[in-house]
Parts: sequence; structure tokens; C-alpha cells
Amino acid sequence: MPGLLEFNNYSMGFLNDEGQVINMMDNVSFAVQEGRAVGIVGESGCGKSMTTLSIMRLLPNNAVVQGGVINFQGTNLLALSQESMEEIRGKDIAMIFQEPMTSLNPVLSIGFQIGETLQRHQPALSKAEIKEKVIEQLRMVGIPNPEKRYSQFPHQFSGGMRQRVMIAMATICHPKILIADEPTTALDVTIQAQVLDLMSKLKVNGSLMLITHNLGIVVEICDDVVVMYAGRVVESGSMVEIFDHPTHPYTRGLFAAIPTLTHNQDELYTIPGSVPVSTKFLPGCRFAPRCTQAMEHCYTQVPPERELSPSHLVNCWLEFEQRGEG
Amino acid sequence: MAAYLTRRIFKGLLTIFASVTITFFILRLMPADPVALVVDPKMGLEAQAAMKAKFGLDKPILEQYAIFIGNLIQGDMGVSFKTRQPVMAVIQEKMPWTLLLLIIVVTLSLLVGIPVGVRAAKRPNKGFDRFVSLLTMFSISIFIPFLSFAFLYLLAYYLKLLPTGGAYTPPPADGLTYYKDVARHAVLPSLVLFINNVATIILYTRNSMQDVLKEDYIRTAYSKGWNEKYVTRVHGLKNALIPTITVTGLMISSLIGGAVMTETVFAWPGVGRLIYDSVSALDYPVLQGAFLILSATVVVTSILSDLIIAWLDPRIRLG
Repeated sequence: MPGLLEFNNYSMGFLNDEGQVINMMDNVSFAVQEGRAVGIVGESGCGKSMTTLSIMRLLPNNAVVQGGVINFQGTNLLALSQESMEEIRGKDIAMIFQEPMTSLNPVLSIGFQIGETLQRHQPALSKAEIKEKVIEQLRMVGIPNPEKRYSQFPHQFSGGMRQRVMIAMATICHPKILIADEPTTALDVTIQAQVLDLMSKLKVNGSLMLITHNLGIVVEICDDVVVMYAGRVVESGSMVEIFDHPTHPYTRGLFAAIPTLTHNQDELYTIPGSVPVSTKFLPGCRFAPRCTQAMEHCYTQVPPERELSPSHLVNCWLEFEQRGEG
Repeated sequence: MAAYLTRRIFKGLLTIFASVTITFFILRLMPADPVALVVDPKMGLEAQAAMKAKFGLDKPILEQYAIFIGNLIQGDMGVSFKTRQPVMAVIQEKMPWTLLLLIIVVTLSLLVGIPVGVRAAKRPNKGFDRFVSLLTMFSISIFIPFLSFAFLYLLAYYLKLLPTGGAYTPPPADGLTYYKDVARHAVLPSLVLFINNVATIILYTRNSMQDVLKEDYIRTAYSKGWNEKYVTRVHGLKNALIPTITVTGLMISSLIGGAVMTETVFAWPGVGRLIYDSVSALDYPVLQGAFLILSATVVVTSILSDLIIAWLDPRIRLG
């Protein structure tokens, strides 16, 4: 089934000082279905943020797209003109960034910054109508006293309130897909829960793509999961499949590393080693050096993608048992 | 805001007072005797003493200082040793010429410097930015009198396109001809000062714009679907202009003090030239007056630029 948003063999990399392109994301394929929430999971540096910025076409200047397509409603976003892409940003695809502290402009009022999204995509609205809608939106994301808050500036808001402002800004045009890049990383735990609640409440109408390294958050709100390691998708499928049958050695390592209250562990399990930098990627499986079950050809040959069940894909050389519909 | 302003004005007055005091004593520490210049040696001794007494130069320094401050508070800056005119009148005569130059130079520098700086910042290290960097480096490091003489030689002496000096051709003409004449005379000194000052504006605007464009909130603005033109203007400029405003304030202060070298080379009858002439003539009262005006402008422009910055940046205004 074609998704609302699809990555097909998408590869990108960075231009280094010598003019060579160092590959970062390699043949990434996955889909976000209409109305579903997808969690992209992985360690820092695995290419999660690059995935989101690729969709928005807001990659840093030294980034190079090496191949593949990103389809949104059947159109390749990478082939669109700058103007058509601007038309989609904020209206059809909206984004919440990781750092609420620095993602808002310090010299413009909150009301203006939220209203800007409307002003861009619904130019027919009058100033008064925009203000009315913005205040309504502020109320919806749970900001008390929105009439007064409307004309205040970012430095007068706490971190959690700023993230609510970011959510208000991203959802005011009711996007078809909302991308949230580690939206709760910079917040403390109680605020995290409130922000997550708010996001799952607002996703009712559209799809959600949630970038996180927190598996707890994935269980909380996601329907599908994509596990990434060092710029490649290693395992993907429905949330239930992945959580009940984690298959790839990396995914299993991730689950083993979650501290639990029921087990009496002396020491928390960790995956040995650390994520390689993109200049040190192996030609074969990028996880091989840290994998306890690695075989000789893992180091030299890219692992194949295999279907374990209609809603569960894994990229690994190991032999796994096939299952029916999970 | 009112408390902030009162505090700034009070501090400003204190600064002016300190500057006036320092000027007074520094001038009197100069290893030269103004009496020798003021008093004609052919005069009788009694007449000399009478003249010294008239200017108060026979009294002890501290008493002279007390008298000077007393008069100043009443708005009396004394009389020029050289021309016997009241200092106020001397400065009032020169000030408009300096202001004319200042307005031309500041306006042009901002009108040209800000757009050029912004454009260079958008594509760092590309063709336009490299060209601009080279040009600003050259304009900032060049020695101003050298540039002045080069222009004088080329445009005024060799090509005879422009007058060599002064602010107008004496005797002053009437009406439109006079304004045209002044404009022609103003071209060279403005050009020299413009080249130097526009480079500063470009450099500051470019550097701060480059930093601002890397900020996360710029990416947020793009993610709403706005184009580069809008994002730079609405989200970039307001943040990026803060250093430019500070440096413009400093620029105005230094131009009010008169671009001494430029005004002297082009015989422009402004405050800078006045300072140069008064130092040569050991004209204490005029120098004191000129430096008083200078410190007052420094204080006023710095208050003004702080107010503009506070207006741009709510963290300062409300914080």
C-alpha cells in the first residue's frame, strides 16, 4: 500500500573539505501511512535528524542528496521547485524542532510567529482573523491566558510553554503530516508527558512522524516503528511486531538496555562500542563491529532486507524464523 | 523604562563633567604658554598684565577651573583667545558644516552598507562575498590622508572635475547656485569618509547576519514555508542590525568630533578643522568648547543607540 510519505532507496551524505562526499544515509526506505504515527528510533548520530530535514529540504549547506526519492502523496519532494516546496512546508508538512529554546525568534512576539504560518498559507485572512485563530490555537495547546500571552516574547515563556508554542505553530494549518524531531528531549519528565499527550491529541487528523531515542515514548503514541543505525534502516514494522519480536541484534540490544523495575539488575546492559562516525562506515553491515553474532561476510556485504511477516522487515544476515500475520 | 532613562541621563551628565574637567587640565599641562601667543610682545608690561588679567590667566589653575565651571553652568563657554569671539558663536558657525558632512556620510553608508552586507552574508565565501570582503579590507586599512591626496590629485588637480578645497567658492552665490556649489565641494570629503565608514557598516552587518542566519529560528521560519527574501528581512535583519546600530553610534560620535584629518586636507570649515587650528593657536576656550560638544554628542548618541536597540530587542526592553 503506498504511504502518504515514502522514502525509496534514499541516500545522502556530506561534502568534506577535500570535495569528497561521505555517505551518511544509505538506501533508506520506509513509509508513513495516512493517519498513523511512526516512530524513528536510534542512537544519536544515526541519521534521524537528517531524515526529517531531508523531507523538509532544509538540509545544511554541505549536505548532498546521492539518490533515491522521497514521495509525498505520490510526488517526489526532491524534484519539486523551490516555490512548490515552500508551498508544502508549514501547510502539508510541518515540523517541531528539538530545541524550543533556540527555535523561536527572540525579537518577535509569540503571536506573530504563530500567525506567520497562517499568513503564509491563507493570505486571504485579515489581521484580526489571524489573531483570533492564533489565540484559539494557544488555548488549544494549553497556554493559560492566551490573550495576554499573544503579545509576549519567547524569553517570557518556560521551556515546556515554548514547546507548546512550537506545537501550536506547526499544527495551526492542520498539516497532513507532522514531524517532531525529539520534541521532548530538552524538557523535564513531567513536562515531557504533557507535551506528548498534547501531540497525540493533535495527531487525530493527520500522520505523525516522531524522531526519538526514547522507546517509552514510542510505545506511548506510535503505531509503526523504524529502527535506524548509522544511516541505515535495520528493522521496521508495526509497533506490536517490533516490541513483541525484536529481531535485529541492534534492536534486541536496545530493548535489553532499558532499565526495568521488575528485574533485579546490578548493572544496566549496554551495547558494547559506540556509533561509528560516517567516515568510518564499513562496506558491509554497519553494526557488525558491535554485533555479538557477526559473521565474516557481515563485514563486507550489505545485509539483505527480509520480510518476517507482512508488517515486519529486517536487514540482517542471520537466519530468522518466519512468522505469519503478527 | 523611565527609571532606566533617568539613570542613563544622569550617568551621561557625569561623563560630560568628567570629560570637561580632564580637557581643562590636559590643556593647561601642555608645555606651551598661550600668553605668549595672545599677548603682543610689543605691548607694555602693564598692558600685558592687564590682558592676562582679562582672560583670567594670572590666577592659580584651580581658581581658573572654578571660574570656568561656574561660567559653564551659566552657559558661558568664554571667549576665543584668537578671534575674541564668544566660543559658542565660533562653534555655532562651524557645526553646520560638520553636520552636513556627517548626515551625507552616515545616510549613504547605511543605505549602501546594510544591503551589501546582507547580500554578502547570504552566500558566504562565494563570489560576491569574497569581492566585498576584499573591498572592505582595503577600505578599512587604507590611510585616510593618502586616499584624500590621491583623490585631490586625480579628480581636482589632474582632471579638474571638482574643487580642491573649502565648502564653497567665495563670495557665496545666491539660491540654487550656492547649493550646487556646496554640493560640488562636499563630494570629495564625503567620498573619502564614506569609503572608510561604509566598509565598517558592511563588515558589521555581514558578520552578524552570517551568525544570525545559522540560528535555529531561521530554520523554523523556513519550515513555515517562507522564502529566503522574507526570512532574511523579517527574521534576520532585526537581530542582525543590533551591532550595526552600536557601530553607527560610534561612527556619528567620531564624525561630530570632526574628521580632523579629512577636514584639514580639504580645508572644510567644520569642527575638525576648528580643533586643528585651535591646537596650533593654543586657543584653550575654543578647544574646551569643542571637546564639550564632542563629549555631549558621544553621550547622546550612545543613549540614542541604546534606546533603538531596546526597541528592537524585547529582552533588553522588558528584561
